Amino acid sequence: MTLALRQSTILIIDDFQGMRTMLREFLKSMGVTAIDTASNGKDALQQLSGTKYDIVICDYNLGPAANGQQVLEEAKIKNYVGVSTVWVMVTAEKTPEMVMGAAEIRPDDYLLKPINQALLETRLEKLIERKQSLAPIEAAVKSLNYADALAQCDHQLKAKVTNPHEILRVKSDLLLAMGDYAGATALFESVLAVRDVPWAQTGLGKILFHDKKFAEAKDIFRRVLQENEVYMEASDWLAKTCLMLGQHQEAQKVLLDAVKLSPNAPTRQKLLGDTAFKNGALDLAQAAFEKTIKIGEFSPHKTPAAYTSLAKVFTEQGSPQDALKTLAQSKKEFRYNTEAAIQTAAAESVVYKKMGQDDKAEAAMHEAERLIGTAAGKVSAEVAIDVADSLLKMGRKDKACSLLQEVVKNNHENIELSKNIEAIFEDHGLVAEGQALIAESRGEVVAINNEGVTLAKHGDLLAGANLLRTAAEKLPNNEVILINLCGLLIGMLSKEGKSHQIASEARELLDRVRHINPSNKNYHVYTAALNRIMGSH
Amino acid sequence: MSDEISFADLMASSIHDMKNSLNLQVSALEKIAVRCQARGDQSGFDELGAIIFQSNRMNIQLVEMLSLYKLGKSIYPVDMDEHAVAEVIHEVVLQSQFMLGFKGIQLSVDCADDCYWYFDKELLKGVLVNALNNAYEYTHDRIAIVVRLHNKTLELRLEDNGPGYPQTMLRSAVASDKGVNFSTGSTGLGFYFCEQVAHMHKNGSKRGTLHIENGGTLGGGCFVLTLP
Repeated sequence: MTLALRQSTILIIDDFQGMRTMLREFLKSMGVTAIDTASNGKDALQQLSGTKYDIVICDYNLGPAANGQQVLEEAKIKNYVGVSTVWVMVTAEKTPEMVMGAAEIRPDDYLLKPINQALLETRLEKLIERKQSLAPIEAAVKSLNYADALAQCDHQLKAKVTNPHEILRVKSDLLLAMGDYAGATALFESVLAVRDVPWAQTGLGKILFHDKKFAEAKDIFRRVLQENEVYMEASDWLAKTCLMLGQHQEAQKVLLDAVKLSPNAPTRQKLLGDTAFKNGALDLAQAAFEKTIKIGEFSPHKTPAAYTSLAKVFTEQGSPQDALKTLAQSKKEFRYNTEAAIQTAAAESVVYKKMGQDDKAEAAMHEAERLIGTAAGKVSAEVAIDVADSLLKMGRKDKACSLLQEVVKNNHENIELSKNIEAIFEDHGLVAEGQALIAESRGEVVAINNEGVTLAKHGDLLAGANLLRTAAEKLPNNEVILINLCGLLIGMLSKEGKSHQIASEARELLDRVRHINPSNKNYHVYTAALNRIMGSH
Repeated sequence: MSDEISFADLMASSIHDMKNSLNLQVSALEKIAVRCQARGDQSGFDELGAIIFQSNRMNIQLVEMLSLYKLGKSIYPVDMDEHAVAEVIHEVVLQSQFMLGFKGIQLSVDCADDCYWYFDKELLKGVLVNALNNAYEYTHDRIAIVVRLHNKTLELRLEDNGPGYPQTMLRSAVASDKGVNFSTGSTGLGFYFCEQVAHMHKNGSKRGTLHIENGGTLGGGCFVLTLP
């Protein structure tokens, strides 16, 4: 028995008194003295918020309210448990959530019943030991210091760790996050040369998806699923790929199969609802959005979009009263959230319009626009697209177009967003107009960007930077403009010598890029370059 | 989407509940048994041991039934991943510690620490627990677990020094037919489960196999699982 285990503070979460007592006695016999217990998710979170536990032993099935996975997610997102906490999920049987890659936030291990003391003790000791090797990598990932995390992975792989595949997997995720697709491909292929494993296959699929080779990506995800029916990650990617290929019926089928196996992922249920709604399968969409709301209630993934989407379904079904009730509920649930208020107000206006109450419809849309004004620049693309859809339904095409232009200009390389925008124009019979708007808005940004880069290439770094500075003011959320401007500033620093003013401007740009997309490839390259230039006093 | 519950689903969820109760029961019984032994009550200890053995059998069968039900419906979350074979065996041994002590069986494990292989960990543990539980009944006093690598295939042998399998069982072509004997209460579930698990494991065109033989290092029954 290691000292580390005996000195640990441990929280047991189980709704079953008998299990709590049994686990507590096991731990006492191991010499552990600091043991707390909780019988439900709410109590558990309360205790987690007040005490920093070394180990949490949590039953997956906690009765009618939140399940173990939801407690874990909330605890992680609220930072009640850090990278050094060992979280063990106890389950009666194997569930799809347990298969690698099924959930973004995972416990450190699953323990299947029946449990006895000897088994629990060895497992906990092993996990403490593994935590010591993985925690530094996790900490680096959490602070977005990918280069450092990568170096630590390589260090451990060289030191011949006991779990090489686990580290390789973490490393491949890092390479993908940093945009090093060639490195990731090489890693996956070297693993696959020895053995056909689903995570490496799926990895190759993700790279094809990124390269916009959707048909080939689809083949891979399909093959992985044929061999491993319960590999949820491949299933989610397959659905995404089908949507990119415009195969909405197939995507619906894939998602429907997936939620039958693993029904408690809010994002998957929401995507099923969206897809079914597009396909006109209103009953299915209704069920999926209702489920999204239900499971989202205890989840950090709770989103007002589930409510506005459900309201849209009710409106289509000819039940505007139900739609209004749903939106009223959303207002209550997201009382302090401006974005939610914008989305809800815009959705309300469409319902009133459908009911023939034009005054109320106008008033609601007016409120949505007023709120957009106050939240200037901070409205997410998803919300903006949703509001534009409502505006089109209200016959306010001009306003809708200007809103969507902003979205495209700020995200001109995001093909998934463009697809969503196209779909909205299509719904209103404006296919050509939509395509023109996207091409034009995108073209404008590309032209400015190219001009800036060309000026810089010809040696006029300052002129290029100034051009991009003006563009960045107008498009504060355009990742490409921001990062290219940053690149030019770094060029100036290395050519013309250190300047703290320019360095701090570059740092601010990097912060903004990281906020928009923490896996921007150049973000990591430029951060390293900037540190090199400015750090070498 | 319907939330209708079928009889099979109802059975599956009841099995869960039974497993929970059994887990608590076995753990409580083991504690009482240890107390019996400590105060020198050998007959109490023996009686409890026999009860615990039966509870373990029930638990194993429930797990197998649940897994087979899910495999049949293609909803078992198969999770082929790389694991240290010795660690998995160690966990199975820990799970069976009380029984081994109770029966006075000496168990040896011959497996390299750096032997890693690909398999579904929980299913393999299910197979090992089953084979071990079988061996308790027939061995004299020794069981050996031997792990070897042959031609890129993992061979896992569980051998004992009992009388070995009867000729009728060795001759039967289908492994799962071997165990059916209504007079002894053996249903063949265990073999069927192990065979299914072996078959599910594949690498390229090769699949896992299961067979039984007599002899081995201890001269008794040998349960042999191969995984590609």
